[in-house]
Amino acid sequence: MTTEVLKPPNTEVIEKGDVQDPAYLRIRDLVYQTSGIYHSEEKLYLLAAACKRRMAALGGPITTGRAYLDHLTNPLKREVENRELLNQITIGETCLFRSQAQLNALHNVILPEIAAERSKIGLKKLKVWSAGCSTGEEPHTLAMFLMEEQEKLLAGWTFEIQATDLNDNSIVTARAGIYGDYALRNTPDLFKRKYFVPADGTRLRVKDEVKAKITFNRLNLNDDSRMVFMKGMDLIFCCNVLIYFDSTSKKRVVQHFYSNLMPNGCFFLGQAESLFQVSDQFHLVHLPGTTVYRKPPAEALKVGKP
Amino acid sequence: MSSGLREGLKRRIERLQCLPSSPAVLQPLLELLRQPTNRINVKRVVQLVSYDKTIAAQCLRIANSPLYGRVRETDSIHAAVVSLGIHRVEDILLTCCLHQFSAGEQWATDPAVFWRHSLGCAAVSRELAERIDYSDPDRAYLSGLLHDLGILVNSLAYPQEYGAVLAAAAAKGVPLDEQELHDLEFTHCESGRILASLWKLPLAVNEVIAFHHHPAKAPAGNPVVALVHIADVLCRLRGLGYGYEEWRSVDLAGDPAWEILAKHCPQLGKMDLARFTMDLDAYVPRVQALVESVFTTKTEQPEVAPSH
Repeated sequence: MTTEVLKPPNTEVIEKGDVQDPAYLRIRDLVYQTSGIYHSEEKLYLLAAACKRRMAALGGPITTGRAYLDHLTNPLKREVENRELLNQITIGETCLFRSQAQLNALHNVILPEIAAERSKIGLKKLKVWSAGCSTGEEPHTLAMFLMEEQEKLLAGWTFEIQATDLNDNSIVTARAGIYGDYALRNTPDLFKRKYFVPADGTRLRVKDEVKAKITFNRLNLNDDSRMVFMKGMDLIFCCNVLIYFDSTSKKRVVQHFYSNLMPNGCFFLGQAESLFQVSDQFHLVHLPGTTVYRKPPAEALKVGKP
Repeated sequence: MSSGLREGLKRRIERLQCLPSSPAVLQPLLELLRQPTNRINVKRVVQLVSYDKTIAAQCLRIANSPLYGRVRETDSIHAAVVSLGIHRVEDILLTCCLHQFSAGEQWATDPAVFWRHSLGCAAVSRELAERIDYSDPDRAYLSGLLHDLGILVNSLAYPQEYGAVLAAAAAKGVPLDEQELHDLEFTHCESGRILASLWKLPLAVNEVIAFHHHPAKAPAGNPVVALVHIADVLCRLRGLGYGYEEWRSVDLAGDPAWEILAKHCPQLGKMDLARFTMDLDAYVPRVQALVESVFTTKTEQPEVAPSH
């Protein structure tokens, strides 16, 4: 099986303002409860579009929001349908430079803070983990972004990126680092010129010097015995992965992420995800246009909980 | 702030009071705001709104904005007062008055930015108040609307100097009050407070204006100061700020304001802040649309007869 090329979801079917059916609000709340992925009023049309795509795929008598809600809550169907719906919700989200707000926050606030803190002890090394890296868009973005930082703020620093995914095929694709127009739609030209070489057709391949910064591995986030060896991380990214976990395993996985982070380390979720009722150890920190879950600084950890 | 500086500031603000554009409705409206709720006369409010044609038209446009959770299209002031409730009409009227007050004047900044932030903070303050079961969401709205009155004051009283302060804050990506303190030795909290006293605004609102950047210093017993502080920070980090990004990270639950507010409103401790934050993104386009439709003073081109 080869990893499918994701196509842009067709969102034209549903206009903003056209989401009057209260069933979609119920579905929104249900999705939020089970997965932690939230659609604000402005984004509700995207959820409705995902539901419509599922209705079309089911092909049966389910044609309204209300009927789809019944299907989604049917004890015999809900597990499978929930997963299918989540696939539709996150489809096409995978691309390089997906969240500019996160990168801006790193560039302008988080990295300067880490740099200032570390310069006191002379440790100029950064450890990053892309957990659930899929076909490699995120770790490659981070590698290029940090290489740029090495020219200014992080001059003289080294960094390493651990990229893991459950799916072997995804890892193979990720290692190849070849991307088409759709995956590259947010990538600034500067980065395309500097960090890619032409592959086939219009596709581009990530340069070897970028790949050299990343270690790709297969990892099951539910594998406790391996999770404990991912220590000393400064930044962990886990976008649209936890949404597929049930509440118990989600709590366990997030606890691992917490333990593996350095004090003051940052845990990044997808833009629509939340850890509400999953962990109260992390601090939800606001930055311009984005939020991040932060492990408290070392001093706070000492005086805090026993 | 030195006493000399304070006197100079006060004189400039007193001069502002006599601005030619200051609407006639403003003084009676402020008078009205000082009344206890049960003594407010609906008929008098309708009269006030209808007094000034520009204000009446603006009021209707605001009343019909989705930000005010419009029940149905309203085309008469009386219907607006009835369907929105007296408090919301007061809010709307005051918004229009403040706009009129400053419309013809030379601003140090883009007035639309000020209005987006003020209306955004007002709406977010009310939303937050409702989520945490605070007893008076209308008070929260009014306080959010007026919290940055001092920016309007500084903008009009120091049109040249203040433009430079704003530009410097934007270039550095630092909070405005920091830059004000550095360049002017006072912040919009002080100047806002002086105008609020001259206008005899309710004390609780005055406290919000004076202490919204340092809610721990506010007199105890007024949780709206902390509430507006939180709404203000959220707005500034979520696209409804002063027109630039402030490069900082804020742990709201660790902010002293959070603790103060939680004491009054225990619901705050149970609130899903991540979800609330995402919900706020819906306000950005709504506030922008409202400001564009109502407050952006388009320079009307006089009709020129075609030349032959």
